[in-house]
Amino acid sequence: MTTRELLTFQFGHYANYIGAHFWNLQELSFDYTGTVKTEINHDILYREGQTAKGEVTYTPRLLIADLKGSLKTLPETGGLPYEENENEFQWNGVEKIEEPTPPKNEFLLDIDTDGPSVAKQYNFEQDVKTWTDYLYPRLHPRSVNIVRDYVHDDNTECFDILHKGKALWKQDFGEAFTDNIRKYVEECDSMQGFQVNFDCTDGFAGLALSCVEYLADEYTKSILAYPIIPSYFPDNNPTTQEDRDKSNMKDSIRMVNTALSIQELSEYATLFVPLSTGDKGWRKPGSPRKFDYLNYNPELYYHSSALLASAMDTLSQKYRHKSNIYTMSDICADLTGYGRKMAAASLGMPLPINEREYLIDFLNNTTKPIYTCITPSCKIATDKIFQLITVRGVPENYLKAPMKEAKEQMNIPAYRCTSVKEMFELYFQANNFLSATNVTVCDKPLEVKTPFPKFFGSELNKYGFVGSEGDSVKVESCPVVAGYHNGNFLSDMIEKLHREVSRIKFTKLHKFKQEGFESSEYSDSLDRLAEFKDNYEDDFEL
Amino acid sequence: MAAISLLNPKAELARASQALAVNISAAKGIQDVMRTNLGPKGTMKMLVSGAGDIKITKDGNVLLHEMQIQHPTASLIARASTAQDDATGDGTTSTVLLIGELLKQADIYISEGLHPRILTEGFDVARNKVLEVLESIKIPIEAKREDLLDVTRTALKTKVHPSLAEVLTNACVDAVLTIRTPDKPADLHMVEIMEMQHKTSTETALIKGLVMDHGTRHPDMPKRVENAYILTCNISLEYEKTEVNSGFFYKSAEDREKLISAERDFIDQRVKKIVALKKKLCDGTDKNFVVINQKGIDPLSLDAFAKEGIMGLRRAKRRNMERLALACGGIAMNSVDDLTEECLGFAGLVYEHILGEEKYTFVEQCKNPQSVTILIKGPNKHTLAQIKDAVRDGLRAINNAIEDKCVIPGAGAFEIKANLELLKYKDTVKGKARLGIQAYAEALLVIPKTLAINSGYDAQDTIVKLQEESRLSPDPIGLDLSTGEAIKPTDLGIIDNYVVKKQILNSCSVIASNLLLVDEIMRAGMSSLKG
Repeated sequence: MTTRELLTFQFGHYANYIGAHFWNLQELSFDYTGTVKTEINHDILYREGQTAKGEVTYTPRLLIADLKGSLKTLPETGGLPYEENENEFQWNGVEKIEEPTPPKNEFLLDIDTDGPSVAKQYNFEQDVKTWTDYLYPRLHPRSVNIVRDYVHDDNTECFDILHKGKALWKQDFGEAFTDNIRKYVEECDSMQGFQVNFDCTDGFAGLALSCVEYLADEYTKSILAYPIIPSYFPDNNPTTQEDRDKSNMKDSIRMVNTALSIQELSEYATLFVPLSTGDKGWRKPGSPRKFDYLNYNPELYYHSSALLASAMDTLSQKYRHKSNIYTMSDICADLTGYGRKMAAASLGMPLPINEREYLIDFLNNTTKPIYTCITPSCKIATDKIFQLITVRGVPENYLKAPMKEAKEQMNIPAYRCTSVKEMFELYFQANNFLSATNVTVCDKPLEVKTPFPKFFGSELNKYGFVGSEGDSVKVESCPVVAGYHNGNFLSDMIEKLHREVSRIKFTKLHKFKQEGFESSEYSDSLDRLAEFKDNYEDDFEL
Repeated sequence: MAAISLLNPKAELARASQALAVNISAAKGIQDVMRTNLGPKGTMKMLVSGAGDIKITKDGNVLLHEMQIQHPTASLIARASTAQDDATGDGTTSTVLLIGELLKQADIYISEGLHPRILTEGFDVARNKVLEVLESIKIPIEAKREDLLDVTRTALKTKVHPSLAEVLTNACVDAVLTIRTPDKPADLHMVEIMEMQHKTSTETALIKGLVMDHGTRHPDMPKRVENAYILTCNISLEYEKTEVNSGFFYKSAEDREKLISAERDFIDQRVKKIVALKKKLCDGTDKNFVVINQKGIDPLSLDAFAKEGIMGLRRAKRRNMERLALACGGIAMNSVDDLTEECLGFAGLVYEHILGEEKYTFVEQCKNPQSVTILIKGPNKHTLAQIKDAVRDGLRAINNAIEDKCVIPGAGAFEIKANLELLKYKDTVKGKARLGIQAYAEALLVIPKTLAINSGYDAQDTIVKLQEESRLSPDPIGLDLSTGEAIKPTDLGIIDNYVVKKQILNSCSVIASNLLLVDEIMRAGMSSLKG
């Protein structure tokens, strides 16, 4: 099978936090010894290149957008020696204006010297101020695209309105960006599609949507989009009345951006899956989704983004496998019947199997769902759904007891299953009435090497299985389950969003109006969002 | 108490003279930053980011975009200046300087108690007069090479090093003259600007044809062909699997492969038609065939082309489709059904150039190219960026000159002349409005003054010298930056765009007047006024 390449996009600060974890997961799982059999075809996400000096590079096929001032230590050229730095200065009078060099943290310094040591403890929770602070891979000079018109963390002129992003796309930024897209696509022999991760709460939504529209127009490839709502906003806990008013206004703006994003994606994307670690997503991200055995701090992007990155890594296994014949377009086709282009995602991390337990017992005894929904304001139904589940890191010898020791296990119908895949298929068949489930199983667990956050509970053993309490060890990998789900239940989510947004009067949204967004367009968009919801209402599936 | 304070007690206010002071100090501030960059002898600014990214420029427009301006008034001025650049491609620094100077001059009178309204009325009168002067000194030109060279050189010397400016001037003028059809405005999009990180900047050159930033993707394809037919098309030659609900219904790979193998045939048919045309036209002759496709070409199709010795390029830039048709003739095809020889373009030479991982394809020796490429070379990214900005401005300058059908003398000649005329005119005006005219006349001198200072001469000496000369001479007199003496700019070929000056005068007067008339600044937002 030839490599079916993917091009990944990251628009926005939080999307880049996730991206940094995602690419760390990829790059730290590379095997340079050639002894380990890898399941994943890395060429799908990566490209081979050459610097001017002829050194071979292997970099993500990736395009990033972020605001000026967010990169800190990462040069815009991506950190690889692509430049010849002999300066031909013919000038006498040069005024030099230098910004102070931001200090590199310990981890970055170690990368520059010997590579990060495994044993060393880094204090990421405090050191990480931006996503480049824990980014391990170096990037291609084409990858980083900086928005110069707005500055990161600037309160006077913020990039907070979707239409500001759209306006930006129409200027030079968009032209340079589409050129970079074209160069990546030109290199690919048989591309399978695009993966677009973006912050849907601010101006980046506009950039991303313009980009998705362009992709749909220019290339006939699948577009899988992840509109993402960050886990926390600094203004979420106002104390004074004045702050409360401001926070309210900001929440409204963010929600309108989100609603418009979802509406537009329903037109141009092939499949899209909203993600957030907050349970509500709008007005406020809400309380953090709970994962047993994980203690993460939703106020730290560094933590919450690691969860979403793990989910993306696991979900994408399906179309990145060497042996596998699935492509992104198959996944999209599987999920998006009846125009239901929006799906929900779930993550179970770790899959809480006891180290002394067999999978068969675990699945038989568990009363809770094995995954947690990571799509905001959404509750995944158990019946009448389409779902694609990926399970990784459950060894076949955990499947069931051998015949001799089986005892009661023999009485469970699942005992006749001969593989992990079969067993999970049976599990979902039994649990989800009138549903279609497709299970993919990967041998390799999720490897959580530094700089992945150490937010695992002390109950877990080295391999991420639930073990004896007390002796807390460093978790090196863990079994994970993740899935896409689609069904009637999503109409609820759109309904909630539509209802909340409809409450906001357009006259209150003067910032949108300033950017040329008209009241009639606004109500049109809301109407179309309501129409999109209808796709989930009719009861003639299956 | 102002009404806003009733509504929002926390709103910040600056009133009357205080408001004016805020505006004037902001205008002076931004003027101070930009003044050293004016003119061919102005200094460069090198901006280094925290992570070591470099940008070197003296182009006012680029600087304003790079600087993060916090102060509201300063950012208003910056926006006006960049709008100037958007409209005409030049004059950004001048705009900033002039607005600042107008406010500075006004400040003198206002501090003596003159009402800003009177000053602005004076400004209006003065502006109209100055525009008359501008009309009177303009020099009509034809779209001839020599005339255009002068105006382009003048514009470019303020952006890049003189030796480079010379190279770029020739390239830009020849580019515009090649693509231009008489009596029609030139479409500057038909000049492709291509960057190549290689060698030195003075090797930047005009290619009378097209350079594309991609190449062939098959090892056996020819890398260089002569006498080539060129098929430009927007036809997918890439097998796209139709979406199959695979996960639920197909158990094995074979099932699915069977279903889809038939579909590949569809693409093969298209490839065969192109190959057939090539055979018909080229076999037995010394001619060759090149396919340039906007859509993809997959490895199997590439293979089929390579076997026939066809050079195939995929994913061409959308705009290059149009450019290709203009450069080598032919039409961009959307289907393979009615392919004939008439649809094809022709080029004498097509070859590939590889630099590291980058590939470039040159389409040259076109018969009657109406689209050309300026190939920018430079050792690093910031040099390339600098040249690219300069080339864009150069092209704009040429286009302006062609559309205006006239130019004006540069080197500060216009400002000196206008100053002189205004002072004469002032005596004919009655009332306090003449103070406004006086201020306006003084403010105009900021351009020659700054030019003199940047070249290391004394501002007052120079101005006095120029004014004296100008009084004696009927022709406009400007400043020779290399000697500090008065000269006739037209003799040295220092020529400016008419429309740029006109735009500067208009926008500066309006903005300065507006800022002067502000008597209350309030902000109910988050950060303070002390920007």
